[in-house]
Amino acid sequence: MSGGELLTDRDHINQLADHLFRHESGKMVSILTRIFGPENIDLAEDVVHDSFVEAIMHWTYQAIPDNPSAWLFRVAKNKAINIINREKFKTQYVSEEYLQSERVPNSMSHLTFSDEEILDDQLRMMFACCHPSISIDSQVALTLKTLCGFSIPEIAKAFLTDRENINKRLVRARQKIRSAKIPLEVPYGADMEKRLSSVLETIYFLFNEGYNASTGEDLLRYELAEEAIRLAEIIVSHPAFKDKSDVYALLALMQLDASRFKARQDNDGNILTLEKQDRSAWDYALMEKGFINLEKAAMNSQLSSYHLLAGVSAYHCSAASYESTDWKSILELYSKLIEIDNSPVVLLNRAIALSKVNGAEKGLAELDQIPKTASIEKYYLFYVTQAEFYIQLNQFSKAIESIQSAIPLAPLTREKSLLRKRLEFCRQKAS
Amino acid sequence: MKDYLLIIKTEGSVWTDLSKEQLQKHLEHGTAYIGNLLKEGKLKNANPIDKGSRIVSENKGVLKDGPFNETKEVVAGYFHILAKDINEAVDIAKANPIFKDIPTKIEVHPMMPVGG
Repeated sequence: MSGGELLTDRDHINQLADHLFRHESGKMVSILTRIFGPENIDLAEDVVHDSFVEAIMHWTYQAIPDNPSAWLFRVAKNKAINIINREKFKTQYVSEEYLQSERVPNSMSHLTFSDEEILDDQLRMMFACCHPSISIDSQVALTLKTLCGFSIPEIAKAFLTDRENINKRLVRARQKIRSAKIPLEVPYGADMEKRLSSVLETIYFLFNEGYNASTGEDLLRYELAEEAIRLAEIIVSHPAFKDKSDVYALLALMQLDASRFKARQDNDGNILTLEKQDRSAWDYALMEKGFINLEKAAMNSQLSSYHLLAGVSAYHCSAASYESTDWKSILELYSKLIEIDNSPVVLLNRAIALSKVNGAEKGLAELDQIPKTASIEKYYLFYVTQAEFYIQLNQFSKAIESIQSAIPLAPLTREKSLLRKRLEFCRQKAS
Repeated sequence: MKDYLLIIKTEGSVWTDLSKEQLQKHLEHGTAYIGNLLKEGKLKNANPIDKGSRIVSENKGVLKDGPFNETKEVVAGYFHILAKDINEAVDIAKANPIFKDIPTKIEVHPMMPVGG
């Protein structure tokens, strides 16, 4: 190898967009899974990975090309063509049904990677990954792996578990796809509403996983929330979904919630309640997108829980300060929400809104009304809410009891420390 | 300026053990690092190592070859650099951002000048 052959002089270095590899990977895996068939997701992932390796080997020594996506797609396409041409592919990898279907490309010319195809394929992938016959844990793991380009260690870290656990979820998901012969299709007609609802549920689950535990050190978990938003954006960009108000409502909800994210911790990484947040740290650009989608969600008279929750989030976002929050309107929304969803979390949030409108005494009474199931009794925020009502009524010894119930139930260390500070505050007041 | 051979040995492989996100970061700071060396005129050649390595060995007069022992330590690539002395060569090796991506050792070998 003579000197300087591979290495070229570069005046500038092309930059890659944030998470480009992950997102391109999601697109490429979707397309190749369509080409190879849903039973062969693994093969699709291998081809995509090999394409990235090749890209990096070349680009490190020859500079990042002006259009990295096109480069990646071209390489993946060539690898796919080679694989399809091999007789081994037809005999070993695909089922008879798949060969009969329209999916198998008959000639090279059918292998197009146009923008429409890429969008269609990602949607097909989403509906396959989020199929209701797969458990939700497995749905989320498979979606993150295939559509979002996360690795198994990254998913394990995000869900605070180990690789074996995630691997099991993936294996189960893939097995289910094979055994249930889950097709790679965007459903239509009567099936569509139900299937879409399942997809949205998974996306919202993913969002909450990212949103609830996120602080500076858990940047990866915030990226889950970003991915959830991105997946919903993919759905609304497809013409088949432009009259599906639920998707716009979910997207609005996520964007409005996420816009307040950066203010949730102070410089030392401590959690700040909504009351204490510096509102100038909110992401107003993202918030505006949320408001626009909230408008779009009002396209028909349907009111899903996503609509109502988005509405609540909107009221918080549009308040100049905690004190000026329109709690009355929020309470109205929660009162509508409990008709669709009377889970303890919703009842609890409604109680908080009610206390803002009618006082802490009524808030406490509302808490008493909540049916005491195992899930509410283990929910630390129930006791935290109770404690805050007692504090407002200057009943500090009762507040101390509630906080003490909350602390062992709080899942994260930083939540526990926030509670201990509150306990200190109550003790000082009580003495 | 003297010639030095830098051999990059990673624990595990960059190609199999990094996620897409990590690969992107690896690429971004790798190209910056190489770009800098080129600008400073310190890089004569560099290459990553591909799959399919073999090892040739001799036992009792018989030569055999087989697949490269799949130990955890993988030869990832090499750099042929120019530096004024071993200390500068070591500094150049230390600046390689691969240390951020994966556990790595870099061997720094002074190349004996041979006339020509």
